[in-house]
Amino acid sequence: MKRLTTAGVHLFLILASVVSLFPFVWMLIGMTNSSSDILKGRFSIGSKLMDNVHKLMEMTNLGAASWNSAVIAIIGTFGTLLLSSMAGYGFEIYQSKGKSRLFGLLMLSMMMPFAAVMIPLFRMFSDMGLLNTPTAVVMPTITTAFMIFFFLQNTKSFPRELLQAGRVDGLTEWQLFTRIYMPTMKPTYAAAAIITFMNYWNSFLWPLIALQTQEKKTLPLVVSSLASSYNPDYGIIMVAIVITTLPSILIFFLLQKQFVQGMLGSVK
Amino acid sequence: MAKKKWLSVFVLVTMAASLLAGCGSSGSESKTAEGKEAGNSSKKKVVAWAWDPSFNGAALKIAKELYQKEHPDFDLEVVDMAKADLEQKLNTNLASGVKEGLPDILLVNDPNIQKYVTAYPNTFADFTDKVDFTKFSPYKVEALKIDNKIYGVPFDIGVTGMFYRSDYLEQAGYTAKDLENITWDQYIEIGKKVKEKTGKYMTTINPNDEALTSILLQSAGSWYITPDNKGNFVNNPAMTETLRVYKAIADSGIAKPVTGWSEFVGSFNAGDVATVVSGVWQVSSIMDAKDQSGKWRVAPIPRLNVSKAVNASNEGGSSWFVFNDSANKDLAMDFLAKTIGGSSEFYERFLKENGGVGSYIPAFSSEAYGQKSDFFGGQSIYRDFTKWSTEVPGITLGMYTQEAKDALKNELPNILQGADLTKSLANIQTLFEQQVH
Amino acid sequence: MERKWNKSTLMGWQFVALPSALIIIFSFYPMLQSLLLSFQSGKGTVYHYVGLDNYVRLFSDPMFKQAVLNTLLYLIIQVPIMLMLGLVIAHLLNNPKLRFKGFYRTAIFLPCVTSLVSYAVLFKSIFAVDGILNQMLLSLHLIHEPIAWLMDPIWARVVIITAITWRWTGYNMIFYLSAMQNIDPSIYEAASIDGASKTRQFFNITVPMLKPIILFTAIISTNGTLQLFDEVVNLTKGGPGNATMTISQYIYNLSFVYTPNFGYAATVSYAIVIMVAVLALLQLKVGGEKR
Repeated sequence: MKRLTTAGVHLFLILASVVSLFPFVWMLIGMTNSSSDILKGRFSIGSKLMDNVHKLMEMTNLGAASWNSAVIAIIGTFGTLLLSSMAGYGFEIYQSKGKSRLFGLLMLSMMMPFAAVMIPLFRMFSDMGLLNTPTAVVMPTITTAFMIFFFLQNTKSFPRELLQAGRVDGLTEWQLFTRIYMPTMKPTYAAAAIITFMNYWNSFLWPLIALQTQEKKTLPLVVSSLASSYNPDYGIIMVAIVITTLPSILIFFLLQKQFVQGMLGSVK
Repeated sequence: MAKKKWLSVFVLVTMAASLLAGCGSSGSESKTAEGKEAGNSSKKKVVAWAWDPSFNGAALKIAKELYQKEHPDFDLEVVDMAKADLEQKLNTNLASGVKEGLPDILLVNDPNIQKYVTAYPNTFADFTDKVDFTKFSPYKVEALKIDNKIYGVPFDIGVTGMFYRSDYLEQAGYTAKDLENITWDQYIEIGKKVKEKTGKYMTTINPNDEALTSILLQSAGSWYITPDNKGNFVNNPAMTETLRVYKAIADSGIAKPVTGWSEFVGSFNAGDVATVVSGVWQVSSIMDAKDQSGKWRVAPIPRLNVSKAVNASNEGGSSWFVFNDSANKDLAMDFLAKTIGGSSEFYERFLKENGGVGSYIPAFSSEAYGQKSDFFGGQSIYRDFTKWSTEVPGITLGMYTQEAKDALKNELPNILQGADLTKSLANIQTLFEQQVH
Repeated sequence: MERKWNKSTLMGWQFVALPSALIIIFSFYPMLQSLLLSFQSGKGTVYHYVGLDNYVRLFSDPMFKQAVLNTLLYLIIQVPIMLMLGLVIAHLLNNPKLRFKGFYRTAIFLPCVTSLVSYAVLFKSIFAVDGILNQMLLSLHLIHEPIAWLMDPIWARVVIITAITWRWTGYNMIFYLSAMQNIDPSIYEAASIDGASKTRQFFNITVPMLKPIILFTAIISTNGTLQLFDEVVNLTKGGPGNATMTISQYIYNLSFVYTPNFGYAATVSYAIVIMVAVLALLQLKVGGEKR
């Protein structure tokens, strides 16, 4: 019976994995085919990989775009993690009526479609003289109600006894945060890092508006301009997409260990 | 103690912020450095926004080379964006009133011309006296004219043709002659025969795409909206006939349903359809299927059964604008006027190098436009296309084309399911008027 | 005692102040501007105050009503399916004895990293009239003629729902998995000794312990669905007719596709804010959050 259940679980997970991976495999195969073969739905490895790569390199400056994207994603991720976890911790551990009200208010900010605040935001960064800089791209989302909310909800299961013990040991409130909360919440930080990195790395609308010159553009902007020509070359687009996707996967690989080992025991 | 820690966090955050600011200032530094450099070599740089590096971006590069012969100190930077991205960025920039970051030259899709000029008054430069517009196809100039001023330089056109597979049509018993000057009803009959004899579809149909209805309307000199921006759905014989033909094509079983651009291109690349009714720029996608060389030809498009309808129309096309507030306004205008606005050489090279067709009539008699294409069985396709382009009826595209298209799209499923056409058209008219009130 | 409480409150503000200030500057200030804009109408840069006209217009705007109906339909059907699926998968993968869990985890996470362009092209070719899915169904004799998935109002919605579920299930799984690491494994051990089955453990331990995170994902997904844009624009462009159009797509059209009316677009945006806020409060109430 137990065997049967295990087999069932594997069957279910294999099915889910195949469905999830399918587009990814298709993308990798598409990379090796010509545009018209891709549109005909060819599902076998072709011989156009080098062709596509060469054409892509000729058409775009992927190196610069990757660098721009990386700067934004890395600074943005560190900033967001620090600021949002601070707030999530503060709102949950030191609860008070005023803070609860403030938090409720902050939540409203994530409910506004970004397109509707874009114009005032654009004016603001123009006034500050920061347009066309990574700062302009990172700042508006360096703390989000979304991430604060995520940390806050996770903090609910944070064992407060640890804080009490820390106070007894003479740690200050900030030390409690950096020395006890942060290490204990590693799995939460890991999940937040994956999601935040991905959001910055893929962010499109605001970088499009805030960045102005060709050399400042991020990867998604470059890929998007490839896909909109009168006669888009899907072979080239597939190569560009694979290249853009890899860093997010890499980050996931690096951080997912936290979901295996991150058992609470480590700080016990 | 606590204070100290608080301080250190503060310092950390300030550091992060200054790091960010550092990136920022280094960015602007490099920008000014560039500007200085340009100043030193006394180069005057003009910036342009365009959306297809292998097409309109490439055209600007040809224009730059031509212009530099006379003006060696001229320089041009092209910023490439996807078309939708460009429109988004432009609207945000203009609506916020921020001039910073706008280019000198802008590529505008023809249906957007009136929208931009009206929504953002005094933003775009008046070209009326800068270019000899009599040298361009009249319908193209008509699109740029607002209150008797002409707001840009005409660029590429989308004069339509009926691309067809001569092998399939031959199998079905048709020659090139049989496809000249036909009506859409005749087209459908031919399609049925083709389906019967070859098993291939005659064409594709995509209810989410307004390309076909737009082509049909313009071929009869009509449009979704009237020149004074009212809905043009009721009491418009061209509209009624267009939708009748559309439904007839859908009902006849000769059209392969497709749901997007890639599927559409895939259908003819894979040899699934016998004809493609589309703008001249489709040539490059058709020629992508190298194995089909020699099998394609182009004929004029079929005609609607209403008075004034012709066997010619247009799909897409764009024009160049210059910003009134641009620091390099005069230079940018002169650059466009001397090249895209008045150089036969430009259009010859644009055709040869990028397959782009313009509406500059003096270029039509050039050797480049007369070249025979082996892919199209030795047909001088560009000669034919340019001949048809002079027959395209001129229409005013108006401000609310997209709103009107969406109102039509909303009702189209009902029309295809056989709803009463007069009633449906009245519904569309009402919906449109609600949208633009 | 009193003093200590005060001290603790003050302490809390140190953590909360800077992040809150950033949100106020970069979100609330622009939101206030767009609130003012929502009382204006016009085109491009030419606006005038119209009072509540835009809000009145909302209730008589057939396009808006259609968009709200479509969006709510996605919300009611898709969000519960996706959250359940994500939770079950996370629970299965959290079993330390399960083999290949690293592979499964990565595979199921991948869709939310995959670029929209590729998945739009792919999904379209799968659901094309002569696409892979129809070919499969035909060869299995489940259907007699191909189904035009993206052209039928009902099937098009099914495709959209499938696409969102495909893309975001792994994303929610990450939140659940990370939160599961904060559950003390000894609780499960004790339950096993008491003879509780895996299913019972799931409902009696995992779900209650994860309640804050389930609530979190429910609110986030509600928010995400009400702002749904990418999938629809890339797969159906809102068609057939306007059967799949969403509110966000309508805002986009009003701002960037139609003759721009940013005033009315701001009004529609506030409609989203109000709807999400109401739904979030409802979820917090149902979720039994004590605040």
